[in-house]
Amino acid sequence: MTDILVAKDISKTYFDTVAKDDVVALSGVSLSVAAHDFVSVIGPSGCGKSTFLRIVAGLDTPTSGEILVSGKKVSGPGADRGMVFQEYALLPWKTTETNIEFGLRLKGIPKDERRKIAHRFIELVGLKGFEKKYPHQLSGGMRQRAAVARVLANNPTVLLMDEPFAAVDAMTRQRLQEELTAIAASERTTVLFVTHAIEEAVFLSNRVVALSGRPGKVIADIRIDLPRPRRWEELVRDQRFIAYRDELTRCIHGNAPVHGNHA
Amino acid sequence: MSLADTSTASPVAPRPSHRGRFWWFSEILPFAVGILIWQALSSLNVWPRVLFPSPLEVAQAFVEDIASGVLPVNLGVSLQSLLLGFVVGAAIAVPLGYLMGLNRAGRDFFDPLVNLLQAIPGLAWIPFAILWFGLGQGAVTFIIVMSVFFPVLHNLLTGIRMVQPVLIEAVQTLGAKRWAVIAHVIFPATLPNLMTGIRLGIAFGFRSLVGGEMIASTNGLGYAIFNAQQYFQSARIVVGMLAIGITWLIMDRFILRPIEQRTTMRWGLVREGIETA
Repeated sequence: MTDILVAKDISKTYFDTVAKDDVVALSGVSLSVAAHDFVSVIGPSGCGKSTFLRIVAGLDTPTSGEILVSGKKVSGPGADRGMVFQEYALLPWKTTETNIEFGLRLKGIPKDERRKIAHRFIELVGLKGFEKKYPHQLSGGMRQRAAVARVLANNPTVLLMDEPFAAVDAMTRQRLQEELTAIAASERTTVLFVTHAIEEAVFLSNRVVALSGRPGKVIADIRIDLPRPRRWEELVRDQRFIAYRDELTRCIHGNAPVHGNHA
Repeated sequence: MSLADTSTASPVAPRPSHRGRFWWFSEILPFAVGILIWQALSSLNVWPRVLFPSPLEVAQAFVEDIASGVLPVNLGVSLQSLLLGFVVGAAIAVPLGYLMGLNRAGRDFFDPLVNLLQAIPGLAWIPFAILWFGLGQGAVTFIIVMSVFFPVLHNLLTGIRMVQPVLIEAVQTLGAKRWAVIAHVIFPATLPNLMTGIRLGIAFGFRSLVGGEMIASTNGLGYAIFNAQQYFQSARIVVGMLAIGITWLIMDRFILRPIEQRTTMRWGLVREGIETA
């Protein structure tokens, strides 16, 4: 597999206007993501993982270092790096359907064709029957399904996700995680996923990269060798899943976790 | 992957329509109550008729003024000034608002000027309006332009400042460039504030219309009210006042509300009201 996304020695320093001081958010983070891989970046809050993702998206600029996507240097946001946000960020004035086909419309794809593509993804994320609804008429889980479909329909080189399931309830979250692993596998999507939840990262990913507390540096890079499709009811009792989780927890918190119920 | 998603689906139920058989009743009830109270007060005969005309006298004057053509002519003149003044004021305020809201240089240049001018009431322009345009519709229209301009601009600027950055970032990662961001995010996101600005602009325009016509004109509803007072025709004063109120109700009901119902309300950005339990 070839590396489709390469982050070279990314550092980010910004000026904190309240503390009136420079803050080093990221310090020399390098990371390569292979095509069709599912990679999660985890770390304690404030470690700069979201900043890192925003730099990959081109929404933030690094103080030093560079991002290459398909060998091309990133200089701003672009359709090759579609992002799913925690806040859904659907356009309230567009329906499920027109939100999902928005990227295709920007590309100038004719209406019939983009509607066909949009409907395939509406079906894929389980929103059939809600095509004509506006975002405010959908539940949180449905909004995030639409947001995922909106990026996937645009066929990005890499799907970026910034704590996308943090705002939904626990039951919906597990369900969305299971659906995401299935979709990423069937669509062969390359995913870069940011979360502070260790179990979520292990559950979803082929590979988990842990960042240290501020300034963020890579402190662990672990391959997750678990079979797919993954289901929560099986994995919570899986010894390998527990071992990965504990290893990453030790890495991040510097001590062993308490064993017990963690569903 | 399931299709029907009952565990997470809690879409907002469609609002029950309140347009039953007697929908008109709730629309006229407040007015009926108002007229009844008015009639009761005037039946007490506490005040002389000339100070407190009854609803019946006003209705008579209303019919007379329509029949004689005085009311339609004055209403026509006033509406013309108001609409022209509003269109010109908004046509300057809206592009300037987007220029100031979306462009730092534009903001830095125009912000101090706008701040200086917006504290000056439209009516303060009456002397210059008369000097420049003479007594008549031109002067009144100019005053309305000055009154409409600032509420429209101010509300639009507020709206632009309130656009959620995440919406802009999301469409940028879908490939949107500057103009697509403006057309598909900023413009629709500012519509609620733009509508508020338009409402306030028209309301301020009415104020200046009446004030302007009283001083700087020889026709229109404001002049008619002023003139009626000179001849102690108090019922005619009320006719002029009501004509303004009814004109606004019609504009709100048949122009502004349908626009809002089709846009900002449909998108869930603005609600009819908040009913607490």
